[in-house]
Amino acid sequence: MELRVIEKGDTSLSIEVAGEDHTFMNVLKGALLETDGVAAATYDMNPEQSGGQTDPILTIKTEDNTDALDALETGAQRVVEKADALETAYNTAA
Amino acid sequence: MAEYDVTFIEREEREARFLIRGVTPAFANGIRRAMIADVPTFSIDTVRVIENSSVMFDEQIGLRLGLVPLTTPLGDFDIGDEVTLALDVEGPGTAYSGDLVANDEMVEAADTDIPIIELKEDQRLELEADAVLETGRDHAKHQGGVAVSYRHLQGVENVGERDEFADDESHIIRGVIEDDGDLIPTEDFGNDLTNRYPDTEVKVEDVPGAFVFHVETDGSFDVDTLVTEATATLRSRAEALTDAVAL
Amino acid sequence: MMIPVRCFTCGTVIAGHWEEFKERAREGDEDPEVVLDELGVERHCCRRMLVSHEDLVDVVAPYQ
Repeated sequence: MELRVIEKGDTSLSIEVAGEDHTFMNVLKGALLETDGVAAATYDMNPEQSGGQTDPILTIKTEDNTDALDALETGAQRVVEKADALETAYNTAA
Repeated sequence: MAEYDVTFIEREEREARFLIRGVTPAFANGIRRAMIADVPTFSIDTVRVIENSSVMFDEQIGLRLGLVPLTTPLGDFDIGDEVTLALDVEGPGTAYSGDLVANDEMVEAADTDIPIIELKEDQRLELEADAVLETGRDHAKHQGGVAVSYRHLQGVENVGERDEFADDESHIIRGVIEDDGDLIPTEDFGNDLTNRYPDTEVKVEDVPGAFVFHVETDGSFDVDTLVTEATATLRSRAEALTDAVAL
Repeated sequence: MMIPVRCFTCGTVIAGHWEEFKERAREGDEDPEVVLDELGVERHCCRRMLVSHEDLVDVVAPYQ
């Protein structure tokens, strides 16, 4: 996974996540929105035919006391926890 | 934090229906998409034809071979790994997927009864094929999950008697309903709520955060492997992101 | 020509059911609906694959 920072402020971050698509980006966005201190999170992705920027660009805005990059890390960690929780729940039932 | 609860409604090796409670729509869709496009399977990709005197062109045979599901022991192989298979059948008779012989015994046709081509007297099909481990994103023949979908669990609530002079209309729904904690597939009552609740006014509402998944595999592996591997691909990507951010 | 390996719509492998379906519902006189149900071909996208198929190998064989 290759990251390229496009814009970075204290409470805002715009970052390109190369090689990812809706499968992961939407899960990540969902997790970010549940994270404390995140005011807004979204991603934009263009179709192959657009001929331009096709890798997703993730944009995060955070509240004053949270660093946007830290929030991203917390959000990613949250996805890991969700995956672990689902696997545990599935194996318990199976 | 995230606490999920899984209940099986139907469970077989290649097909299952289960309810997950407590998931967000975003995560539910993430797992569904990962099951379809991100869990790799073996599939024949290159064919070297030695002799083909059948009524079909080499390319047509190649297409049919590509669609044959091959058993895929994930964990023993990485994406991009290749396994060579051979097929040699002489007519009269039919060449079946079961006639494929692999150089690795862990990989074989998941179904042995798929007819590849019917051969007449003096016709012969002999070939060598390379199967590659790839994901469904690369080509649909590598999709391990077939017809993977989910829908909301529907809560049915009894809200009193039906109006005496109301029209005699059926109330068709599909999926799984929850009535007082019981999970009932709609097939059990002919998909018609008026069969189960005659002369009753019922309210049907989606249960928030409860998704009923329907998962089928093409035979490359069982349902458990598909679900676990799909979850694992999401986790590995999240971990890769954590690592990349930490740098 | 030959029965398609998978259902065009959903991707389920259906070719393996063809020979039994042909024997029982085409050449035999069983009800195709019952045969399909027993074979476990549930969805109508998969059912049409078997119902609408015609073997053509014998037709083209003389022109080889």
